[in-house]
Amino acid sequence: MIELLAITDDATPPDPPLGAVRCGRLSVLWAPATEAALDADALWQREVLLEQLMERRDLLPVRLGTLVADERAACEAIAPRGEELARALERVRGAVELSVRALGASDDAPSPAPGEQTGREYLRDRLARDALAREVHAPLAAAARASVVLDGPEVLRAAYLVDRDEVDAFVARFRRLQHECSSVAMVCTGPWPPYSFAEEGDA
Amino acid sequence: MKDKVLAGPLGGDLDPFAKPTRSIGSRRFDADPESLERGLAQLVLTIVELLRQLMERQALRRIDGGGLTDEEVERLGRTFMELDARMAELRDQFGLDAEDLNLDLGPLGRLL
Repeated sequence: MIELLAITDDATPPDPPLGAVRCGRLSVLWAPATEAALDADALWQREVLLEQLMERRDLLPVRLGTLVADERAACEAIAPRGEELARALERVRGAVELSVRALGASDDAPSPAPGEQTGREYLRDRLARDALAREVHAPLAAAARASVVLDGPEVLRAAYLVDRDEVDAFVARFRRLQHECSSVAMVCTGPWPPYSFAEEGDA
Repeated sequence: MKDKVLAGPLGGDLDPFAKPTRSIGSRRFDADPESLERGLAQLVLTIVELLRQLMERQALRRIDGGGLTDEEVERLGRTFMELDARMAELRDQFGLDAEDLNLDLGPLGRLL
């Protein structure tokens, strides 16, 4: 069994024990499958692998835990989606993913019990939260090639697809925003492989 | 994690952003009854959460549009607040996080 790591159109083979199989215009990068438990360490190891691969080529990360029997099965798995994957690769070419999370002042505190808040206050808080999320997201989205708001308990959890040479400018914009929106605690991480932009329909 | 931080929070305190990690488990399908029950609860709660979010968004839009009386706003707010609290209880009961209540629909993207 092999575990699929990423899809690329770069023909350079990766260093062993990783392998690559050419399927038309695309290559599938893979690692020998392992039975080790999926814990935080395993995720980080995979992340390090993907980042090393990403240094030399544009790629689309494959969903974690995608196992197939062999290289032939890998090609068969991506063949029906070849065109779509080629388009997705074009979309992320030369860019990396940056992640932003914003916590509101009340995110640390437990949610008020129904008796402690009126219905009007509850809805007013929800509206204020939505407005705050837009206030943080809009300027960052404008500084990115594409963006997607992700599900999460924070005021905002979002991913931004940013050109590699625009990362510093994006971070500078983020720092200014931290001062403009001082009621939220914000963190920006990356660069990540374009996890949130590998599928069509995102962004 | 630290070396992936491009810009930390102004006070420098990353703790509120850290969450205890939990093992995703083995790479093999686990058919014990407890995990199956949890999986079923996750699926059912995901659908309930989808409906709750859709209704809440609709309510917020109507309030923003100013088309509701004070009494209606209060009643709606109480309903959503209680539903929110009940969902949190059920998530706790089955050991699920808010992020667990989502479905990946493949090419269609995420449900929520």
